[in-house]
Amino acid sequence: MSVRYIPVQWNRFKWGYDAALLASVGVFLWAFLRVTPEDLGHERDVSGAIRNARAFGACAFVMLTGILCIGPLARLDTRFLPLLYNRRHFGVVTAAVALTHFSFVLDWYFAFSPAGKYEALLFANTSFTNGVAGFPFEAFGIFALLSLLILAATSHDFWMKFLTPPVWKGLHYLIYPAYAAVVAHVAWGALLDQENTTFAWVVHVGALLVVGLHLGAALSGRDAAKPRTAGWVDAGDPATIPEGRARIVTLASGDRVAVFRHEGALSAISNACAHQNGPLGEGRIIDCLVTCPWHGFQYDVRTGRSPAPFTEKVPTYALRLEGGRLLVSPDADPPGTPQRPVPVHRGRTT
Amino acid sequence: MSERPFFVGYLGLPRGLRFMTLALAVSLLIGGGLLATVIARAKDDPGPGTFRFDYGRQTVTGIVALTPTPILHVTKGSEHIEAGRTLMLSGQGKNGALLRARALEGRLANASGILLTRGDLDMMQLVCGEAGLGPADGDAPMAPEPEDLGRWELAGEICDGKCAAGAMRPGTGIAHKACASLCILNGLPPVFISTRPIEGETFLLIAGTPEDPMPPELYDWVAEYVALKGQIVRHGDLLVLDIDTATLERTP
Ligand code: FES
Repeated sequence: MSVRYIPVQWNRFKWGYDAALLASVGVFLWAFLRVTPEDLGHERDVSGAIRNARAFGACAFVMLTGILCIGPLARLDTRFLPLLYNRRHFGVVTAAVALTHFSFVLDWYFAFSPAGKYEALLFANTSFTNGVAGFPFEAFGIFALLSLLILAATSHDFWMKFLTPPVWKGLHYLIYPAYAAVVAHVAWGALLDQENTTFAWVVHVGALLVVGLHLGAALSGRDAAKPRTAGWVDAGDPATIPEGRARIVTLASGDRVAVFRHEGALSAISNACAHQNGPLGEGRIIDCLVTCPWHGFQYDVRTGRSPAPFTEKVPTYALRLEGGRLLVSPDADPPGTPQRPVPVHRGRTT
Repeated sequence: MSERPFFVGYLGLPRGLRFMTLALAVSLLIGGGLLATVIARAKDDPGPGTFRFDYGRQTVTGIVALTPTPILHVTKGSEHIEAGRTLMLSGQGKNGALLRARALEGRLANASGILLTRGDLDMMQLVCGEAGLGPADGDAPMAPEPEDLGRWELAGEICDGKCAAGAMRPGTGIAHKACASLCILNGLPPVFISTRPIEGETFLLIAGTPEDPMPPELYDWVAEYVALKGQIVRHGDLLVLDIDTATLERTP
């Protein structure tokens, strides 16, 4: 068995990914800024700083919408997995674009006054209680920007090790309130401000796409209803699990188990990757090792352990066959506990 | 289950995914450019207001009046400012000219700076110190007698006169609310942009008290589309609006 196991590091694909990402951001900004007042029949152009703030703001919104679509897209169709692989860089670039938008706004709307810019940001618009329509949209933007900066700053694997994967993953769910805040920021700001409704359409379609794809992915992931009793869980006919692939089973506790078939025998490990909770059951067995679809961390399916020299471990589960049905133990064994693989014998009771 | 190619980053792109990934990258590039163009082309016209740097620095003489925002009734004009016009006065950036103007109230003064114009709104951004606003020789003639135009019902937007005049484009609207409030707090003229002309004027200067250049209750309504009632008084060719704050309401 080879140990072809390299964690998320620079490689050719990542360079290509980042190049395509930065080129797309460049093209977006260039295309936005090259529209002249003559093109639109306006006598004068929008002030430079406002035009730049709008370009970077629109770009950040589109990028964030894109990032949030990648996860469910990759679940619905594995051909989108290459987009997911380097999603963190996408996030960091988005935070940088959002920060640039903020700088243009701060150095224009909040500058040139006797008060400091940051101070002015806090007191210039405080109409929090004067009805919904005039709510200071800046507050939503500040929340979203701080969230994006926290996520970008903690995106490196160092922080995941330091904070532990569950805490890190929990922290990174902040992306959802951040996106909601971005939509609110745009809705209460740019959309209320503009008479032209084109951008409103873009924002609505983007937000609906994010919601729709997440719902679609959630529905398609409901492979097995959560059992009501806490006993061994029926995982169906074992013969229908293809070689090298898994079936995902949901336990009464809500935990998900990936039951893999490897060389004609079945083994079960937790569905959550020790790296970033990637869905191991959507991965494949490559070189005798379960390979996570997100960043390619690998585990021995019989022990839940990454091959040496790596030390990641995931919980394992006992399996048994009964009346031709495969049953999964409701209790996880500690991460890295070896289990005896259960051979697939159609119709035989063990 | 379909046998779709399975991507593992460090193993490189499987053959079956190369075309799709390339197509995704290209559509991201082209789609991004197209989307940006569509969004950028959807911007509203920011209006014709602007700094008239093309006129160069203008120097005029006139009588200073306070509403309490400083205004100047021009008695001796310049190349681009005729005598008889009334200018709102501002300092540099988001700074008013109130401190300089107080000492000169009712007196003849020289004002020098850059003109900002938007429709019937005229403002002068004064250069710093006495070179911008200082006493002029001679006795002040009579300032135009304020003419009471009665109580009016208006709809429109409260904003600061400098950004609205073209210091920022757009210098109105909800996205500009914080900036407008900051400008007014710093002594720039608060103005009301009426949706319909009043006696031929669309921009009205909002009256305040010596303590508050704009009634504090109005800050929450800045940059919103509002309806209100108020007393209008003509000062030269400028209309000054004294808002009855109890009548303010948001309009759809
Ligand atoms: S390898 Fe990153 S989540 Fe599994």
